[in-house]
Amino acid sequence: MSKLSGISILGYGAYIPMFRIKAAEISRVWGLSESELPVVEKSVNSVDEDTATIAAEAASYAVARAGIDPSKIGAVYVGSESHPYAVKPTGTIVAEVLGVNSRLLSADLEFACKAGTEAMELVTGLVASGMIEYGLAIGADTAQGKPRDALEYTAASGGVAVVIGRSGEGAIADLEYASSYVTDTPDFWRRGHERYPMHGSRFTGAPAYFHHIISAVRMVQEDGYSLEEFDYAVFHQPNSKFPFAVAKMLGIPAKKVEPGVVVNVIGNTYAASSMMGLAKVLDQAKPGEKILMASYGSGAGSDVFIFRVKEGVLAKRNRAPLVSELIERKRYIDYALYLKARGKIRE
Amino acid sequence: MHAIFRPPVNWRHRRFRYGLVVWRCLNCGAVHQYATRICRRCRSNRVAEDRLPDRARLVTLTVVKNPPVSFEKQAPYIVGLVEFEDGTKMLTGITDCEPEELKPGMELERVVRKIAEDGESGLIVYGYKFRPVIKRR
Ligand SMILES: [Zn+2]
Repeated sequence: MSKLSGISILGYGAYIPMFRIKAAEISRVWGLSESELPVVEKSVNSVDEDTATIAAEAASYAVARAGIDPSKIGAVYVGSESHPYAVKPTGTIVAEVLGVNSRLLSADLEFACKAGTEAMELVTGLVASGMIEYGLAIGADTAQGKPRDALEYTAASGGVAVVIGRSGEGAIADLEYASSYVTDTPDFWRRGHERYPMHGSRFTGAPAYFHHIISAVRMVQEDGYSLEEFDYAVFHQPNSKFPFAVAKMLGIPAKKVEPGVVVNVIGNTYAASSMMGLAKVLDQAKPGEKILMASYGSGAGSDVFIFRVKEGVLAKRNRAPLVSELIERKRYIDYALYLKARGKIRE
Repeated sequence: MHAIFRPPVNWRHRRFRYGLVVWRCLNCGAVHQYATRICRRCRSNRVAEDRLPDRARLVTLTVVKNPPVSFEKQAPYIVGLVEFEDGTKMLTGITDCEPEELKPGMELERVVRKIAEDGESGLIVYGYKFRPVIKRR
C-alpha cells in the first residue's frame, strides 16, 4: 500500500551556494544563440564546497526547523550523483557534523536526479515501521556537465534535506502517499572513473522524463486521488520547459507548478531539484493545502508523494533561510572562475 | 605529508573541526582541540567538554596568496581571527566574501567547508570556517 498515516515532515532545509554563472556567459565561450539557452543562470559551488558540505548545511537547517535533538535522529541517507568519495560515505560526515548519535543507519544513495527522493522513501519506511524515531533524507549535488555539452548550461549545485518522523504537534506537512515507478531506461549515465556523464540527447524526453513522471502520477489517480484536489504540483526541473510540459500533459494548470519552479535562476540541482521545488512550496503554502510531488531520476524512475500542509509550517518556516533568500544571495562569476570552482583546471 | 592528512590525527580532531567542540581546563583555562582527561598545560584533571558558539565577531584578517601544499586550490583565501562571546579567540578560514567586505566587529557564522585536499587520491579534510551571516536572528 502506498497510502500512509501518522508520518510527517517535521523539518526541511535548503541550501544553495552563492555563486552564479549566467548561461549567456557560458555561450560567450562556446556559442549558442540567446533563444536556445535553457535557463537564465545556474548556481555554482564555491571552491571549498562539495556534496558533503552542501548536504550538511541543508541538513542543519532542516534540524533547526524541526527543533529536535539531533542525537534522536536514527537514519541519515544522502542521495547524490556527486559524492566526494567513490568509497567512503557522505552520510557519516554529515551525521558527525550535525552531532547525530552513532547509533545510526546511514548510506549513500545513487539514482541520478531522484536519489534524494529515494532517501525520503527509505526514511518514511523506517519511521512507519517504528525502527527509528526521526530520519534525515537529503538530496545534494555539485552536478557535472562536460564543457560545451548542453548539460553545462544547467548542471548546478545545491541541496535539500527533510526530517521525517511521526505526526504530531509541530508537523510541517503530513505525508499521505508515497510510491515509485521505475524501468531500465538508458537516457543518461556515467561509467566508473569517468568525470562527466553521457546522455541520450532527445531520448531524455518522451520515453524517459515524461513516461516515468506520468506513469507515477497515474498510480496516484488509480489509487483514488483526483489531480484537481492538489493546490501545488512539484516536478523534477531539469530545464524551464519540462515541468510545465508534463503538467500540461496531465491537465494540471501552470499556476500550480509555478510556485515551486527555480530552475531558471539556479539551474538543475540534480538530486535536490524536485526537493528544492518542495522546499520553495513549503516556504509559502498555507495549512490545509495539498502538494503533489513527482521526482525524476535517469536510468530511470519517478518517486511520487502527496503532502498535506500543517499548522507547524507557520512557526517553523522562519527558523532557517527561505529558498527565495538563498536565491537572492548571489554573486556572479565568469567562465574562468567557474572552471576553477568546478575543478576543471587540471595541472 | 601534512599532519592533518594522517587518518588518526584527522579523526581525533573531527569534533573540534566540525562543531568547535573543545576540551577546556577548568583550572588554567587552556583549550584543547581533542578529547583529553588531563590538561596538557597545567596537568590538572579538571577538564570539561564545551562547545563554542555558532557565531563570533571578527577581530582581524589577512589574505593568503601563497598557500602551503594541499591548500593551493582555494587560494587566494582569507584567514581571520575571531572572538567568541566568552572572550575565546580562534584562527579560522573565512569564506563566501571578499576581504573588502569584512570589518572588525562584524558578526560571522560557522559553516563546515573543505579545508584541504591531499591530492586527487588522498583524504579530503573538512572543518569549520566562518562567513557573513545569511539570516539575522
Ligand atoms: Zn590547565
